[in-house]
Amino acid sequence: MTGVVNPNLHREVAAYGAGNVDLCMNCGHCTAVCSISPELGTAFPRRIIHLLQVGREEALTQTVEPWLCYYCGDCSESCPRDARPSDTMMAARRWLTARYDWTRLAGIFYRFGWVQIAAILLVALVVMAAFAIYHGPVVTSHVALNTFAPVAGVELVDRIAAGILAFLLISNAIRMAWSFMGGSQMLKVPVRIYAQQVPQFISHYFTQRRWRRCSTAPSRKRWMAHLLLFSGYVSMQILVELLLGWFQTDTVYPFYYPQRLWGYYAAATLLYGTGYFLVSRWRKLKPMHQTSEVSDWLFVGLIFLVALTGILVHIFRLSGLPLATYITYAIHLAIAASLIAIFVPFGKWSHLLYRPLALYLTAVKQAAAAALAEQPDLAPAEEPAVPDGDVPDGDKPDAIPVIAVATEEV
Amino acid sequence: MSEPRKIGVFICHCGGNISDYVDVEAVRATVEQEPDVALARTTMFACSDASQQEMIEAIHKEGLDGMVVASCSPKLHLYTFRGVADRAELNPYRYVQANVREQCSWSHREDRAGATQKATAIVRAGIAKAAASESLENFRVETLPAVLVIGAGVAGMRAAISLADLGLAVHLIERAEHPGGNLRTFGATFPNNRSGSELIQTLLEEIQQRETITLYTGAEVIERSGSAGTFRVTVRLSNAETITVPVGAVIVATGFDSYTPAEGEYGYGLPGVVTLPEFRRILDESNADGQSSAGPITVGGRPIKTIAYIYCVGSREAEDENRTYCSRYCCTATVHTALLVNARDPSVNQYHLYRDMRTYGKYELLFEQASRQGSVFVRWDPDQPPEVRGGGKRLLVSAADVLDGGDRMEIPVDLTVLVTGMVPSANEALVDTLKLPLGKTGFLNEIHTKLRPVETVINGVMIAGAAQGPKTISESVASSLAAVTKSAGLLLKGYVDLEPFVARVDAARCTGCDECLTACPYEALQKITIDGRDVVQAIPSLCKGGGACVPSCPEEAIDLMGYTNQQITSMIDAFAREVEYA
Ligand SMILES: Cc1cc2nc3c(=O)[nH]c(=O)nc-3n(C[C@H](O)[C@H](O)[C@H](O)COP(=O)(O)OP(=O)(O)OC[C@H]3O[C@@H](n4cnc5c(N)ncnc54)[C@H](O)[C@@H]3O)c2cc1C
Ligand code: SF4
Ligand code: SF4
Repeated sequence: MTGVVNPNLHREVAAYGAGNVDLCMNCGHCTAVCSISPELGTAFPRRIIHLLQVGREEALTQTVEPWLCYYCGDCSESCPRDARPSDTMMAARRWLTARYDWTRLAGIFYRFGWVQIAAILLVALVVMAAFAIYHGPVVTSHVALNTFAPVAGVELVDRIAAGILAFLLISNAIRMAWSFMGGSQMLKVPVRIYAQQVPQFISHYFTQRRWRRCSTAPSRKRWMAHLLLFSGYVSMQILVELLLGWFQTDTVYPFYYPQRLWGYYAAATLLYGTGYFLVSRWRKLKPMHQTSEVSDWLFVGLIFLVALTGILVHIFRLSGLPLATYITYAIHLAIAASLIAIFVPFGKWSHLLYRPLALYLTAVKQAAAAALAEQPDLAPAEEPAVPDGDVPDGDKPDAIPVIAVATEEV
Repeated sequence: MSEPRKIGVFICHCGGNISDYVDVEAVRATVEQEPDVALARTTMFACSDASQQEMIEAIHKEGLDGMVVASCSPKLHLYTFRGVADRAELNPYRYVQANVREQCSWSHREDRAGATQKATAIVRAGIAKAAASESLENFRVETLPAVLVIGAGVAGMRAAISLADLGLAVHLIERAEHPGGNLRTFGATFPNNRSGSELIQTLLEEIQQRETITLYTGAEVIERSGSAGTFRVTVRLSNAETITVPVGAVIVATGFDSYTPAEGEYGYGLPGVVTLPEFRRILDESNADGQSSAGPITVGGRPIKTIAYIYCVGSREAEDENRTYCSRYCCTATVHTALLVNARDPSVNQYHLYRDMRTYGKYELLFEQASRQGSVFVRWDPDQPPEVRGGGKRLLVSAADVLDGGDRMEIPVDLTVLVTGMVPSANEALVDTLKLPLGKTGFLNEIHTKLRPVETVINGVMIAGAAQGPKTISESVASSLAAVTKSAGLLLKGYVDLEPFVARVDAARCTGCDECLTACPYEALQKITIDGRDVVQAIPSLCKGGGACVPSCPEEAIDLMGYTNQQITSMIDAFAREVEYA
């Protein structure tokens, strides 16, 4: 692949919160300690840093390697130049997210934190204004949330919004898959292989099991916290997107009813998970929490606030405080809407899709390569189907240095 | 030789190095029978203090008039045992070393009987030589307290100053119009950013303060005669006059030239492709022009935003066997140049296409600093060298990215800098005049890189600076100071002792036929008239003991002292004699 380099790439990615890319001397310590580089058979993460330094934008767009990294931070701890490679992988993910996003908003949000904050406030204000204008009758004798905000209406708006966001996200994901699978020189992978690997996608999606192989014990704890958070998040998503009529009722069911229990679970795990990550980031406990971008705080913080306001709505309703319930509910939805609108297609939320997709596509490529090894007739005309077309560093014999001085023959 | 000599023979075990393969006792027993041998002993280590003491005692006690030690190569211990003889008041030139280690035990490890036989023959030859030896005395030559330094670059100038401070007069010869060499107009240098031109200016002022230094510019050496301690060198001055200066030693510090790439080599010749020295000149000049030292860099009117440096141009060539060497200075100089560029305009992108980063020693810090500032280092492999293409407003440098699987990438640049190495300065005439030894790379050659790093095979002629091979400023100065020390060691005593191995013409036999005069490359023979007869006479101070004259004489009138015809023939006879085992 011949690519014209972009000499400013390292500067551009620095704006996404990269580690000190310039400092990297390509020694490969980070690759040696990284638990995923052997699987990939490439010099990850050094290779990504190198692509950035050199400015090989095209090659960087075509790789999904950064998505396979769960940010354990081992590499940053091993780096003799303090180049913080794990931060650079994080920045590469942000940069890739911006790359996939054809609206270009992601790039703007990532690079300019204040624009992102303004966008969040804007969405929140719009939602609040919509409530102010379109809300149902305000019953003050008792709590009648479904009169104030009828389920059918909320659900309709919910689903329209979900449709738009899903379209944005999926179109970006297709762009990601397209460039990874070779773009216009698409690898000819039989549909069978795509189908066979679907379970990979599902299992990675629901369990993030790849993470467990990352690094050592502390990382497992993070994985657990993240898994809890994830389960809470998915619960919430199911309750509000699919089961809103069942979940949001004016009747207060006994507390052992499933919708209540499930709701508590979601709230508890969301609060615990986001709380855990906020505290870690605040106290900079782990290498990956040394540097936090505005978008990191916003993402986790907003989820926390969504859960908090959700539980407040519940408490106010149980306490029979109609106005407090309605207002908190409006705030709750405003925060939730801004979280979803900004972060699903343009921000960190997208990793829910990109990560398992990257793992899935990598598995597809590897399976295709294995199939190819058995059946060479599957080979595409142009390029062999090896993952990412890379040679591990060690395979390339270095030039033997000629230590000859002019006068050595004496 | 009617009366038998009294020669002592000491045969060394060398702790087994010899005795493991040669039956030293058998050798001793055989040579003991030789008529001229008064004493034959074996010893575990002949060079040990105890053994040396034993030899001295034996010389006194037995009244020895010759000595042979059968041991290692004379390169190792000839002077040791000559010293032993001297301390025992035996003329040191009556000592002979028989090499039975390098030339015998080490080379015949599989054949003990054969090795023993050969060792015996070698020792016998040594005995024969010692038997035919006579007492000789060193020549003492008065030396002149003056030095000729050729080349007024940083090395030559520095040497001149130190020589003057040691009390030696200096003639400093510079071929160019101005002194200073490659650094004369140079800007900031690594490692301290000191300006090259200021450095030269400082040295020049120091030189001008010393009356005993005479600087000749536009001058060249055209002739040399004489030998160590008493050279006479003829110099053609800028006004075409010639002068002859008598000096005791010569330091050659003629420096280097930068490699000039061939047309088309890495795009050389295209607009925007320059060598490192050219780029440095552009940078220095644009500074001198009053362009402030910060701000955009332009070359030929083009603003420079991206630079590619291609390293090792003209150095470390696999194809050209004269240029396989690393030029040493250039990695560091380029990294340093990148720092200067960054200081001028930090927005410039700099790609370093290197083979190996040889910013050795503390220069590593400059490399790190450059990479901190955003210089990008891309390694290349000699099998896939970078290519430079022109056309359009910019240049395209294509390089295989060795650090990522070798994929080719295209770097659009405004300027390509070819990091050219050092080549020997064009100096055929001087090399010929002084008979300077060259290495296979064409730089001047010292006797031994480590053991005798500034001396040449020509006594009294030292070399220094980048004339010896690629060197940085500090390395050039280090070698020039070493040359100063060697010159001072030779001259400050006021005399040198030369070994007496010189030609001697037997005037009675000489017919004055002149054959030998042309044979001598050192012009050490001259015609004189003795009792009305034209005969040839050798001049000991010029004679190098080369021996070229000896076979040229049809009358066998010439002998080389220490290697007389009689000595050599008796050695051959002794060597060829059958060995009967005792
Ligand atoms: C682009 C570049 C950048 C460099 N940067 C640095 C740096 O930053 N730091 C550093 O330490 N080193 C640097 N160097 C290396 C430095 O230039 C050399 O180490 C130094 O110049 C060697 O000094 P010299 O006196 O041995 O040789 P030269 O400087 O070459 O001087 C030799 C002199 O001998 C004269 N001469 C030659 N032949 C004759 C003759 N037959 N008769 C009379 N005179 C003769 C020449 O005219 C010349 O004046 C750099 C070199 C280059 C090319
Ligand atoms: S360990 Fe650090 S310096 Fe070494 S390759 Fe990785 S990031 Fe670069
Ligand atoms: S110093 Fe560097 S650029 Fe110069 S020849 Fe050696 S390796 Fe090449």
